Amino acid sequence: MRLVFLGKFGELAPESLHSPALPDGVRTLADLKGWIARQSPPLGRAMALTTTRVAVNQALVRDLSHPVAAGDEIAFLPPMSGG
Amino acid sequence: MDIRITAQSFDPSAECAAFMAGRADAGALVSFVGTCRNETAGRAVTRLTIDHYDGFTQKEIARLAGEVAERFAVADLLVIHRVGPIEPGEAIVLVAGLSTHRADAFEAVKVLMDYLKTDAPLWKKETGPDGARWIEPRAEDHARRAAAETST
Repeated sequence: MRLVFLGKFGELAPESLHSPALPDGVRTLADLKGWIARQSPPLGRAMALTTTRVAVNQALVRDLSHPVAAGDEIAFLPPMSGG
Repeated sequence: MDIRITAQSFDPSAECAAFMAGRADAGALVSFVGTCRNETAGRAVTRLTIDHYDGFTQKEIARLAGEVAERFAVADLLVIHRVGPIEPGEAIVLVAGLSTHRADAFEAVKVLMDYLKTDAPLWKKETGPDGARWIEPRAEDHARRAAAETST
């Protein structure tokens, strides 16, 4: 799978998290967030401390029980600051 | 609608001139240009860096612009947003609207800017002599976004 970490998350995410194999026991976005936090506690803390939006295959998904698959592109978005 | 994400600096005046060229049907052009300031809240800013999500960012801005185009009688909308490193004084964003009469273009440009502040998938980092920090929307940005939802 391909994981994309935007903004400040990108600075915290280790290279090994960019294209991991689907980890054992990870079936949903909530599972994946938990797995990421175990791989990188600083990134897990940053994601827990702010409003983190998640996009699956470039579409925003609110429900963290959404399933994840090996071929997915999943992005983690901190609060946006355009304009 | 013309929605562009670019890592190159651009000339807002030239872009506005090109946008309105040949549009004799429109009686009003309203444009807003956001530029990179050299200080924020007393802290010097030497560079702004904007992160984006390739593909998704443009798609989301186009969706926001589409919502605005449905609400206001605009003949056309233009959004150009910089990404990557930006120097103080450079344009960050240009939003322009063409309409038959001025009120629609004024409102459309204002509301679209309010949307971009909180909903465009862009992430700003300010760098200055005392380090770098990521910017998050301010309470007033969220308040304007909420108000923009109902403005007519």
